[in-house]
Amino acid sequence: MRRAALHIGLTAAALVTAWPFLWMVSTAFKGPLEAASPSLGLWPGAWHWGNVAETFRAAPFGRYLFNSFVVSGAVCLLVTFTSLCAGYAFARLRFPGRNWLFAATLCCMMVPFEAVFIPNFVLVSKFGWYDTHAALIVPWCANAFSLFLMRQAFLSLPGEYYDAARVDGCGHFRFLFLVGLPLVRPSVVTVALFAFLGSYNALLWPLLVTADDSMRVAQVGLTFFVTDAGIRVNLLMCASAIVILPTVVLYFVAQRQFVESALGAGIKA
Amino acid sequence: MTAPGRRGRRMPSDGPVAVVLLAPALILLSVFVVYPMFSSVHMSLYGGRRAAGAFVGLGNYAGLARDPEFWRALAVTGYYVAGTVPLMLGLSLLIALALRRAGRARGFFRTVFFLPYVTSVVAAAMVWRALFNPQSGPVSLLVRSLAGASPNWLLEPRGVLHLVTGGWAPPDAGPSLALCCVMLFDIWHGCGFMVVVFLAGLCAIPPELEDAARLDGAGPVRGFFAVTLPMLSPTVFFLFTVGCVRAFQAFNSFYALTQSDGNGGLDTRNMVLFIYTQFYSYGYWGRAAAAATLLTLVIMGFTLLQWRYLGRKVFYQ
Amino acid sequence: MTGWHPGVAAGGLLAVCAALCACSPGGGGAGDGFRPVDPERAVLWDRQINESAALFRELAAEFNAGRAGVPVEVQHAGSYADIFRKVSASIQAGVLPAMAVSYESMTTDYAAAGAAVPLDPLLNAPETGISPEELADYYPAMLESNRYAEHGGGYYSFPLCKSLLVLFYNTDLVARAGFAGPPATWDAFLEQCRAVRRLTGKPAHAVNVDCSTVDGLIFSMGGEVCRNGETLYDSPEALAVFELYETLVREELAYVITAGSFDDNAALVKGEVAFTLRQSSARNDLVTILGDRRNLLGIAPIPQKDPARPATVVYGPNVTLFPVGEGQTAAAWAFVKWFTRPDISARWSAGTGYLPVRRSALEEPTLKRLWEEWPPGKVPYDCLAFAKSEPNVAGWQEVRDIVGRALLDVLTGTKTAADAIKQMKPQADAALRRAAGNR
Repeated sequence: MRRAALHIGLTAAALVTAWPFLWMVSTAFKGPLEAASPSLGLWPGAWHWGNVAETFRAAPFGRYLFNSFVVSGAVCLLVTFTSLCAGYAFARLRFPGRNWLFAATLCCMMVPFEAVFIPNFVLVSKFGWYDTHAALIVPWCANAFSLFLMRQAFLSLPGEYYDAARVDGCGHFRFLFLVGLPLVRPSVVTVALFAFLGSYNALLWPLLVTADDSMRVAQVGLTFFVTDAGIRVNLLMCASAIVILPTVVLYFVAQRQFVESALGAGIKA
Repeated sequence: MTAPGRRGRRMPSDGPVAVVLLAPALILLSVFVVYPMFSSVHMSLYGGRRAAGAFVGLGNYAGLARDPEFWRALAVTGYYVAGTVPLMLGLSLLIALALRRAGRARGFFRTVFFLPYVTSVVAAAMVWRALFNPQSGPVSLLVRSLAGASPNWLLEPRGVLHLVTGGWAPPDAGPSLALCCVMLFDIWHGCGFMVVVFLAGLCAIPPELEDAARLDGAGPVRGFFAVTLPMLSPTVFFLFTVGCVRAFQAFNSFYALTQSDGNGGLDTRNMVLFIYTQFYSYGYWGRAAAAATLLTLVIMGFTLLQWRYLGRKVFYQ
Repeated sequence: MTGWHPGVAAGGLLAVCAALCACSPGGGGAGDGFRPVDPERAVLWDRQINESAALFRELAAEFNAGRAGVPVEVQHAGSYADIFRKVSASIQAGVLPAMAVSYESMTTDYAAAGAAVPLDPLLNAPETGISPEELADYYPAMLESNRYAEHGGGYYSFPLCKSLLVLFYNTDLVARAGFAGPPATWDAFLEQCRAVRRLTGKPAHAVNVDCSTVDGLIFSMGGEVCRNGETLYDSPEALAVFELYETLVREELAYVITAGSFDDNAALVKGEVAFTLRQSSARNDLVTILGDRRNLLGIAPIPQKDPARPATVVYGPNVTLFPVGEGQTAAAWAFVKWFTRPDISARWSAGTGYLPVRRSALEEPTLKRLWEEWPPGKVPYDCLAFAKSEPNVAGWQEVRDIVGRALLDVLTGTKTAADAIKQMKPQADAALRRAAGNR
């Protein structure tokens, strides 16, 4: 009985959560007139599959997506690497000034990115990276939040692992990459996923440091497309769906990894 | 072997290893976060367009303190943080608890709830703007068919308290309806992340502890507060802290939903949007840098308070 | 181990950063000149998209084919606001394109930072300049707004193409409401709105919140917007405009559309509203959407208080040149001069719906053919003679936002017209004073 109520509640909540996307997908395939007339119905009267091709014609979304993938992929790998190393150092290494340094790193997390924009832009321009992939990637390669997450992950590993490794004469580097990394895999996957998402979904920074159509990322392209599509809501929704799709796919793929690692052995405290 | 001998001796420092491991992250953070922060503070001491004018010391700060728009932006940010973080935490925890008992359907539901977080704010905001269009959006249609008239949603500058109490409360007390729409969007968008983290935290709790509580005669609610919540407290604390910091820094949703660089209502202009407008639309870089510094101080102060008073209550193993 | 002390190392790094900041100049532009974004080409940052962008590139290619020297390249760089942001940041970084489209409020900002090329020397140059006779062919209102009193009255930008505020109306709705044509006065406008509402039961006018629209309406009421560094938003004309909106909202004759959207034009096309006030360059979009139902769209000058003395507002970008090198500036100026030639102007106008900045462009056969094909298209061109520009003083961007907010307050019924103006004018004046004091 309670189980059924639970399921009903969850289903209702899930429907509310998913409805905007269902509406988006259904509008994406409606014809121009039908999309412009308001209705609650989710099923299009006629499926206009050609909207996808038209969206790609209206703006070079192929190029935009390519740029997004290159940039976000690089950021994902580099953030994971730097947070892994630094998180481990803060969690398990002993050195003077460690706590102060960590506190300072935490402070970095509190600095809103919007507050450091202009100096960053000036810096990036002075390096000559304006309108290049470097400008989109490098400033994002270290992330205080991911560092924090990795430190938490290493802290929650039971002390026996470290002691056992030390007894075996395992140095820090070997421990980190051979023993620690597999143990904290769910956190690593989380960090990687969020780094990719954060980079893929960023809007303001790419808007500022790219000017050429060939360098534009998907989010910026989508923003421009708002004006472009004008009253063609169906194309706008189609473009939104196109931009969202890669992250959804990625999530499905990563999710299995995430679940398997989280429920795997070695995490039970 | 080595263990007993170690107790009496000071632990050797891991200095060199630490430097190597910390170097990439710290260098990048110094160059792209710390240096710009100092540069920004430095900039806030100068007036003129593009901070190219004379040194004004604390003049920009004084100007902000005198500016009612600045205080309004601060209030909007406060409403937003207070309105989104507790609700997100509570809602996500409820959903995560429910998901834990959902059995085989758990994976499917978790996917659905996480979906909004995975999507970009720009794309999701466009969908929401279309949905909440006062004339032609499905939500407005629904409300109109149920209640006869539909409010202006994202354009409504009057306070939610004013509208709900039929005009008894003054129109600018509390968050406006537009701000509430933005908050709703962010709750919808951000809950998924918290649900997943909570779920991971819940799954890490050994079931023996909860079984033991139940055997001791504790009901589900008592068991939750006595066993589950303390075991979850690091996660709750983490999410609360991070959630608050993120909420102070919210920008994308405000910008994408109101899509008005400067002439949108002041009721949906939070601190970051205020800074952005001062920076980009008007060119008062010194003033914007001052506002950004103040915002950073507020965030730091708030987080320190959280660490101090709530951090004590976290139960680590 | 006492050697390594990462905490100290980090502290040292922080101190170095702080020292670096203290040494660097407060903000300001690069003192020793700007470098071009692309040394080989004179880049123009522009906001056109789709067919307009394609046409722009085509014209640029034609220009480049006909001359030696640095070629011009047109780059799409976002909206006007995006371009302003980019240029602002680029000034800081010391790297700029050869030219960018800009509004007057942006140019005055660039000029204050020393990043705008003064155009008087280029205008007065013997061969590459524009002679006074030719200059007289340009519409005075458009030229004047490019002279900046705050910078000595010189030219710092040049008009490229314009659009002006017109009234778009749905011919079918207006006819069915029983009127022979669009309203010529504001009283007639109200009357027609009421009639349309009686006919459809829905509001007749969709309002897009924009300070330029307000300014245009104030002009049409016979008023001015700014004089001697002070706004005139408390004048009877300004009050009349706000009271007009107040009446429209009170009688449910108008509603406000979502910011940044084109819902008003969408509603016009679908026959849900009868009137929208938009810039003439929206014509192209509307005609494309309507296709062969083009006759549904009517264009008219905006209603006037006194039809004998009409006025409307002209807006649309100018182009500012940046000092990135002699070759680049020469190429940029040559392009600007070539682009505003009557025949090129007419081609651009016919292809995009923007309006030319010279009177003689109206004689071009390209345009005459266009008007023959679709007579309503001629209306914006007729309005060019009495269009006025908005102020070009520093801080105007902030004033625009203040006015927009006040209008939104009136349109949502939050404030009465009188209250909105009472709050708006001191804020606008304070913004102007703040900008003047901050130079």
